[in-house]
Amino acid sequence: MYLGLKEMRYEKLRYSLLTGVMVLIALVVFILAGLAGGLSQGNRLAVDQWQAKYVYLNKDANKNIMASQLTTDATNDVKGKQVANIALDSTVVRKIGSNNKIDISALGTANNSFIMPKVTSGHKVQRDNQIIISQNLKDQGIKIGDKVRLGSNDTKLTVVGSYGKSTYSIAPTMYMNLATLAKIKAAGTPVTKPLGINAIITKDSQLSGNKHNLQRLPINDFIQNLPGYSAEQTTLNTMIYFLFAMSLAIIGIFMYVLTLQKQSLFGVLKVEGIGTRHILASVVTQAAVMSVISVAIGLLITIGIGAIAPTGMPFALNYPQLGIYAISLILASILGSLLSWRTIAKINPVTAIK
Amino acid sequence: MANVMELVNVSKRFGSGHTAVNALSDVNFEIQQGQFVSIIGPSGSGKSTFLTIAAGLQTPTSGKVLLNGTDLATQSEKQRLQYRFDHVGFILQSSNLIPYLTVSEQFKLIDRLAHQKFQEKEMRQLLDRLDLKNLDDAYPNALSGGERQRVAIAKALYHEPDIILADEPTASLDSTRSFDVVDRLVSEAHDLNKAIIMVTHDERLITKSDVVYQIDDGKMQKLENKETVESHN
Repeated sequence: MYLGLKEMRYEKLRYSLLTGVMVLIALVVFILAGLAGGLSQGNRLAVDQWQAKYVYLNKDANKNIMASQLTTDATNDVKGKQVANIALDSTVVRKIGSNNKIDISALGTANNSFIMPKVTSGHKVQRDNQIIISQNLKDQGIKIGDKVRLGSNDTKLTVVGSYGKSTYSIAPTMYMNLATLAKIKAAGTPVTKPLGINAIITKDSQLSGNKHNLQRLPINDFIQNLPGYSAEQTTLNTMIYFLFAMSLAIIGIFMYVLTLQKQSLFGVLKVEGIGTRHILASVVTQAAVMSVISVAIGLLITIGIGAIAPTGMPFALNYPQLGIYAISLILASILGSLLSWRTIAKINPVTAIK
Repeated sequence: MANVMELVNVSKRFGSGHTAVNALSDVNFEIQQGQFVSIIGPSGSGKSTFLTIAAGLQTPTSGKVLLNGTDLATQSEKQRLQYRFDHVGFILQSSNLIPYLTVSEQFKLIDRLAHQKFQEKEMRQLLDRLDLKNLDDAYPNALSGGERQRVAIAKALYHEPDIILADEPTASLDSTRSFDVVDRLVSEAHDLNKAIIMVTHDERLITKSDVVYQIDDGKMQKLENKETVESHN
């Protein structure tokens, strides 16, 4: 301990440079985690807000909600409390009289369904052609009372209320009733009854009969199968895991080279009765100190980036997860420093006398 | 007076068969408290091997290495490591100071490892005796060669070891400083009642020794009269 810390004080430049490299690695880990979190949230925030347990899709849709086509009468096959039909569309919103277009996810469900968000200002959807919008859309300039158009559809919709932040498929959400959304999707052609929907969202429920070829998915299974979701998360997480291996290798190699350089000194220490255990402890102390400092600096910078990140950038910090990554980086560094153990143990003090 | 250290019929053989080398053959040695003993011999004579065996860095092929009655030859590597830490002080060729510790930290380290409080008074007395004042915060590379070896002497004496082993302690010094360092070692042995063994190849340095052993081709003999070294060569 003592020996390791005093050496760092004496060789400031050498150890600061390595700490600097570790800061960069920690920073990349935390920023990637922020991006993974942001993308994950962008994809699933609306789904999480439903607080649902099961999703029913058409069995032929291969768990992909966009490919799942059902009609509202499929609900008859689902027995349970809090059952909601949902239809969705990826489209563009435009204020009438403005050319500013915003990508959105439009969700349709019954006016009184449990997945319809609670409005925080204005009032809820009461009839056709009314919509409520998420805070994200409000942040981009759409207000309660505005008349808007979706995509190339001519129907004028009125914003009657708004709710908290909500995104789906990396786009802000808006909710309306099923008939309104059906009209938007049909784009001029007459809307048939029963209405087309994509899925049935429920809390506690069971299939009964299943005349409509339904498949029941637990909500987590559903999220993993959101388009692009697991591909994005796997890519980013793999990068993060490789960075753990990199920090292990960088500390390991650096400490090993320093150990080789100090072999004769370590030989003298062993002559004086200071054994492998103490020498290794000094090396491990150095790795621990450097990694703790660099992880702390990396965390501070990441929190700063999170605070100033532009609203369009998917970036969300999940502190418990950052904590786990921070500890993993520190453990990887300590593990790396332990790679010098054999070299230290093999130093023969006899060589110091000759 | 009882012997602090005693080597009885110690042999050390490296290798086996017809390539075997006898680094030490049937060596007998003894040293008492308050004695300064020199071991002189040319390079390759076995004096380093003698020192490593006396220090417990390696065990002899046969014979006994007794330190205050305990036979080092029968102890485990771990026990010998602890023995060196607790009972032996070392002064090595080109100073065994740790380059990134200041003078006072060299001493603090020993206390840390022994899990005890820093014995500042003991350190101060030793440094004063060796004329090392106001150097507490200096790093070894800021000291002269003579100062470094004197700090090494103080460090070797710290914690009252039973025996001090000095391996060519003057190798990196000019002759004036060499004599100074040896004079100090002799007076430490006499004044502080310590047993000090010095290994050297420099005959000029042994005149003040209480006992001189000569080693050649692994065979060691006690010289009854120091002048015989001169005549021997």
